[in-house]
Amino acid sequence: MPFLATTGIMLVIGLGCLMVKRDMVRILMGVEILFNAANLAFVALSTQTTGFVDVYAHSMVIMAIVLDGTVIAVGLAMVLNVYKHYKTIDIRKLRRLKW
Amino acid sequence: MVAQTVTGLTIPLPLLVLLVGGILTPLVGLLAENIKAGKLREIWSLLVSVTGLGSVYILYQQLSNAPNNIIIMTLWGQSPPLGGCFEIDMLSIFMAASITFLGLLVVIYSISYMAKESRLTEFYTLMTFMMAGMMGIVLAGDFFTLFVFWELMGLSSYVLVAFLKKTWGPIEAGFKYLIMSATAGAFLLLSMALLYGMVGTLNFAHLSAGLRGVEITPWLIAVFSALIIGFGVKSAIVPLHTWLPDAHPEAPSPISALLSGIVIETGLYAMTRVLFILFEPSFFKVPIAALAIITMTLGNFMALRQNDVKRLLAYSSIAQIGYMLIGISTGLTYGLMGTLLHVLNHSLMKGMAFLAVGSIVHETGTRDLNRLRGVGKAMPYTTLAVVVSFLGLGGVPGTNGFVSKFILFNSAIGSDLAILTIAGVLNSTLSMAYYLRVLMTLLSGEVEEGLHVTEAPILMVGVTVVMALLVIVLGLYPGPFISIASDASSALIEGLSNYVGAVL
Repeated sequence: MPFLATTGIMLVIGLGCLMVKRDMVRILMGVEILFNAANLAFVALSTQTTGFVDVYAHSMVIMAIVLDGTVIAVGLAMVLNVYKHYKTIDIRKLRRLKW
Repeated sequence: MVAQTVTGLTIPLPLLVLLVGGILTPLVGLLAENIKAGKLREIWSLLVSVTGLGSVYILYQQLSNAPNNIIIMTLWGQSPPLGGCFEIDMLSIFMAASITFLGLLVVIYSISYMAKESRLTEFYTLMTFMMAGMMGIVLAGDFFTLFVFWELMGLSSYVLVAFLKKTWGPIEAGFKYLIMSATAGAFLLLSMALLYGMVGTLNFAHLSAGLRGVEITPWLIAVFSALIIGFGVKSAIVPLHTWLPDAHPEAPSPISALLSGIVIETGLYAMTRVLFILFEPSFFKVPIAALAIITMTLGNFMALRQNDVKRLLAYSSIAQIGYMLIGISTGLTYGLMGTLLHVLNHSLMKGMAFLAVGSIVHETGTRDLNRLRGVGKAMPYTTLAVVVSFLGLGGVPGTNGFVSKFILFNSAIGSDLAILTIAGVLNSTLSMAYYLRVLMTLLSGEVEEGLHVTEAPILMVGVTVVMALLVIVLGLYPGPFISIASDASSALIEGLSNYVGAVL
C-alpha cells in the first residue's frame, strides 16, 4: 500500500510538472516521473498479488524503461532543434501554431 | 484449446517482413549511396510493402483453415500466461490488410513526392517501422506486446512529423505530439499495472476471464479512465485531440496520409479491442456516446473556420473519429461492422484526400485556400481525386462514405441511442459546408498571378486516381467488403468466448 500511495504522489508531481514548468527539459522530466510512477506500481503489485515475486512484471518494467528512455531521447533531440529555430527553450514561446 | 497454436520462436509473417525490411533499409540505403544506384532504396521499400501485403494474404489463408478462425503464436517458446503471444483473428487481419494496402499506396506516392528531399534512407526506414508497429498492435494477444509495438509506432511517428526540420512548424508540432503521446503512454502503463494487480497477468484472454462481468469497483473505473486517456490521445478523441491539427498538417504529405488514414484508427482499434475484452458493452455505452457527440461536433465546427487545406482535413479526421465512436458505443455487431467499414473507407478517402491535396501543395507551394483559386483547371486529374474524396468524406450516395455512415447511423437507432443518429446526420450536413467550400475554391475563378501550376508527376496522379476509382467501386458494390467487415466484427463480439477459450 505505501507503494501505491507513492505512485499517486508521483502522478500528481508529474502532472503538476507538465502543467506548471516552462522549461522544455523540465517538462520531459515530468514525463519521466509519470512513467516511473507507473513502473513503481508495476513492481509493487508484482510482489503483492501472487504471493511470490513475479518475473513477468519485472521483464515488463525493464522493457518499459528502455521504451521511455528512447522517447525522452527523441524529445531531447527535438529540444535541440527548437533551440536552433527559436533561440529559447521556453515552452510559452512555442505558440505560433494556433487553432 | 480450440485454435491453431504455433509454438517456438515464431512471429507472424507480415510483422517479420516489415521488421526485417525496416532493419535492412539503412543497409540498402548505404549501398545505394556507394554504388550510385539512384532509386534502389525506393525499390526496396516498395518490395517490402508489396511482400507485406502478400504475407497478410497468406496469413488470411492460414486463418480461414484454422479451427474457430483463431491462430495463437507464442513468443520465445513460453505458453501464454507466462510469455507474450500473438493472437490473430479476423479483426486483426482486417486491420492488417487496411494498414498494408494504404502503406503500399503511400510508398508509391512518396517515390515522386520526396524525390527532392534529403535523408531519404531515414524516411523510408521510419515509415517501414511505423507500419511494423501498427502491424504488431493489431496482431498482439497480450498487453505487453501491444505496449511495445505501441511505442514503436509512436516513436517513428514523432520523428516523421518533425521530419522537415528546416522550418519551425514541424518541430513545434512534433514536440507537442511527443509530450501528449508520451503522457498518454505513461497512463497506458499505469492502467496495465492496475490490471496486472487485479488479475496477475496481462494476457487478453486471462484478463477477460477474470474481469468481464464482475461488479464495477472504483479501481475498474480508474482503469477505464486511464485506458481512455492512454488510447484516446493517439486516436484524437476530443478533448485529447489538440496535437492532431498541428501534427498532421506539418508532416510531409505522404506521412499525413498515413497518420490520418490509419494511425489514429489503429489507436481506435486498440481501444475497441481492450474495452470489449475487459468490460460489458453496457458499461461504456454512455461515456463513449458522449465522447462521440463532442468529438464530431467540435471537429466539424473547427474545420469550418480553417484557411489551411491540410489543417481543414486534419479537423475533418477528428470528426470522422467521432462517427466511428458511434459504432463502438452501440456495442452491437452491426454497429461495430459500420465502424470497421468506416475505418477501411476513411483510410482510403482521407488517405486520398491528403495525397491529392499534397500534390497540389507540391506543385503550388502553398496550403492557403485563398491562394488556391482556380488551380483545378490546371490540374484536372488531381482535382478529380479531390472532388471524389471530399464527396466521399461528406457521405454522398455513390461513394463508400455513404455506405458506412448509413450503417453507423442505422445501428445507433437499433441500440436506443437515437440522439447519436440525429447528431450524426446534422454533423454530416454541416461537414458538406466546408468540403464544398474547398471544391468551389479549386474549381472557380482564375489562377493567381505568379503561381505556375502544372499537373503533378505521373506516379502521384496515378495513385490518387486509382484510389478515387476504389472509392467509387466500394460505394457502388460494397457487398464483399461488408461481408468481410461483418466477419471481423462478429469475431470480436460473438467470437469473444472462442477468443478467450483458445488460450485458457
